[in-house]
Amino acid sequence: MILQMNHLQGKQAATSAQDVVGAVYSLLAEGHLDEAQFANLRVHLDWIQYRQNFREPVTVTQCANDRSDTAPVMEIRVDTRQIIPGGLREPMLRAMSVANSAMHPEVGNPSDRIYLEEFTSFRSSIAWQFNKLYWHHLSDWEKATGKGYEQALPGGKSDANHPEAIADCVADFWTLLRDLENKNQLPAEIFALEIGVGLGTRSRTWLDRFRALDAERATKYYPRLKFLLGDYSLATLDRSRPALTDHMDLCSFIVLDAIDPGKTLAFLRHKILHIHLTNVYDNLPDEEFARRDGKLYQVQTRTYVPLDEAARICDACGLTAAELSTVIRRLLDSGPESLGDRGISFWQEIWKAIRVEDRLVCLEDLPDVNLPANLTPAHLEEVLEDAPSDFRFHMSSGALESFRNTLPLLHPRGFLQVQDIFVTNLNDYRLGCHGPGKLDGSIVNWVNGVLLREVGERAGYDVHFAPFRYREGSRTSILYTTQRE
Amino acid sequence: MTLPILPTTVVGSYSMPGWLERLKTEYFARRISRHDLDEVHDTAVKAAIKDQETAGLDIVTDGELRRDNMIDYFVERLPGVDIDRSSKKFYYDFYDSSVSGKLPMAPLGLADDFRFLRKFTDREAKFCVTGPHSLTKRIRNNFYPSEEAFAMDLARVMNLELKELVKAGAKIIQIDEPYFSGFPEDISWGVNAINAMVDGVGATIAVHICYGNRYGKPSWEGSYRYLFPKILDAKIQKLTLEFARRGGEDLDVFKELPAPFQLGVGVIDVKTQAVETADIVAERIRKALEVVPAKRMFILPDCGCFHLPRDVAFAKLCAMVEGTKVVRKELGK
Repeated sequence: MILQMNHLQGKQAATSAQDVVGAVYSLLAEGHLDEAQFANLRVHLDWIQYRQNFREPVTVTQCANDRSDTAPVMEIRVDTRQIIPGGLREPMLRAMSVANSAMHPEVGNPSDRIYLEEFTSFRSSIAWQFNKLYWHHLSDWEKATGKGYEQALPGGKSDANHPEAIADCVADFWTLLRDLENKNQLPAEIFALEIGVGLGTRSRTWLDRFRALDAERATKYYPRLKFLLGDYSLATLDRSRPALTDHMDLCSFIVLDAIDPGKTLAFLRHKILHIHLTNVYDNLPDEEFARRDGKLYQVQTRTYVPLDEAARICDACGLTAAELSTVIRRLLDSGPESLGDRGISFWQEIWKAIRVEDRLVCLEDLPDVNLPANLTPAHLEEVLEDAPSDFRFHMSSGALESFRNTLPLLHPRGFLQVQDIFVTNLNDYRLGCHGPGKLDGSIVNWVNGVLLREVGERAGYDVHFAPFRYREGSRTSILYTTQRE
Repeated sequence: MTLPILPTTVVGSYSMPGWLERLKTEYFARRISRHDLDEVHDTAVKAAIKDQETAGLDIVTDGELRRDNMIDYFVERLPGVDIDRSSKKFYYDFYDSSVSGKLPMAPLGLADDFRFLRKFTDREAKFCVTGPHSLTKRIRNNFYPSEEAFAMDLARVMNLELKELVKAGAKIIQIDEPYFSGFPEDISWGVNAINAMVDGVGATIAVHICYGNRYGKPSWEGSYRYLFPKILDAKIQKLTLEFARRGGEDLDVFKELPAPFQLGVGVIDVKTQAVETADIVAERIRKALEVVPAKRMFILPDCGCFHLPRDVAFAKLCAMVEGTKVVRKELGK
């Protein structure tokens, strides 16, 4: 057995570790685990960053490697934040039983949960439909909770709007324009794009600053600026308009898919001099992969609602358990208003209750596995050559595709900036859980910066990460691109 | 060999297959031998020639599939250039390279690659070399008093090589100078270097200038206006340029291009995987015909097809040939 202590909080580690090892040994002694399973067992003591997440306190994941002669690898993950000292045996047994049913459908599904889908990559999970619902009905959610979405962020406000960070960004942009002008290469129309507009605060601050700098230096760039605000939610774009009143003449509000902005903006290929995103990548559909004993596995998940939670919610909403899946479907397809007065509270309760269980499926058994654009299994293997031999990591599929599909919009001398939470060293995946977590009604995952860097290099850009130095304790980094010559 | 009116060709490179990219990386990781890689290259070049012939091109190249990129193929052969072999992360990256002394005169061995091409096609064959201006932008100069002096010495070495190519049967040689567009201020000495390079070379000389195609994206923007009037001093017969991606916005500039200069018109955008139809190609040719007469025009993509998937590259070349046939028919040829 390998015990891995991830990101534990001080002395709590020793107590948790003793409890966990004790529980595992008692399962071995009672015959719930055989010696071969024990030899291949990995136990992870995690501290989950997000108080609201998709995990039970104890989860067990098994690898499907039927072709192997050895016993399948089994992982037990214990969320030390939710652990009850001395109470591990029962949750462990239950989690093992769930994992067994995940690998062997013939034994039947566990009876203590209502499943909302079959096993699939998390990227295709119903959880992302909840995420989409949140952004499309943001004002309804905010009205019900009485707080804006930015207040749900760690720290209670968005790093997107930090005036100093914006001033530095504007200064870099102005320098680029001046350099192009000096070479007689400044286009007549100067395009800039913000993807994911929030309340429009960042765009307004950016434009105010740019106008002031332009006036101060008498360069007359501001009137040539075409500032595009892109978001996949029309409701969000509409909410941002009032903030941009002062700059309305040069602003365009465009509904676009952050995963493929080029689809909408194809006419601006190679023309946009600056593109910026804040906290968009961490909220795009993601999935996890794992490497175990030299093999690559896809983490497949299925979403469920624990039966006791389902019963409580149904009681409150006057539903039967049998109706639950149908009502959730209606919520996702037609919005909370389709469920009447209780729509919002039903949505919030279900979202809070949703959990995810998972299993690992060997990539060799998935010939049609869809890796994000431009990333082949061969390329992925190359990237992983220097990575830890046993670890689980985010593919950041939505982020990778967004990144790859945004780059062609850049003018040859243009640059992309992304403010987000990045994992920039694959080893960090062994130090703790990097999502998924729940932030109000949305999903958050740390973004795999290593893969972004690789994909960027193949697309002709060097990708750099700078810490967000404008707020002490911030976990944000700034990704920026430079041309790879 | 008689060519039809509006002859079709590629700029130089053909699609780099994923498997070849992987094998090149395997070679750098020392997992396959040089001998094996050479055999792989031979096979890939033959396939590239066959694809060009099947698409119906009038003039073919070896697809430049032996080359990691447009610089290193020459850097590795140029005598007196020091290379940091550890500087590449993957094969397409440029080596860090430098010169610390006067370049000695020595053969580069390009003629062997041309002979291979000649052996496997009956079509007119073109061989492409990177020009001295572009090479000086990538090789660090630790010896010559100026970039111009370095370029002129490179031209001296390359001149000998071009003559070897002619001896091997090369009739069309293309010099690639994409860095002109990034450094328009260098055009004067850049053209002088080309002239030194082609001095006494008994072949048709084309010069290709685009806005860069590194990693399948442009490196610069601007206007071809910077080429004039200096380009008219170049001792070349053909100028091949990028027009398709830019919507032909610079075409009017070439009304100033006098006979007997020929214009190679880029009618295929190689920076997108969307395949043009024959009608679009025909329309682009018609637009160019408003500027240059058909007898002084030839047809090709904007730049090399290196970054396009093979099926896309092939489909684009087929569309180019079909579109050209439509216009030839309209011209009664």
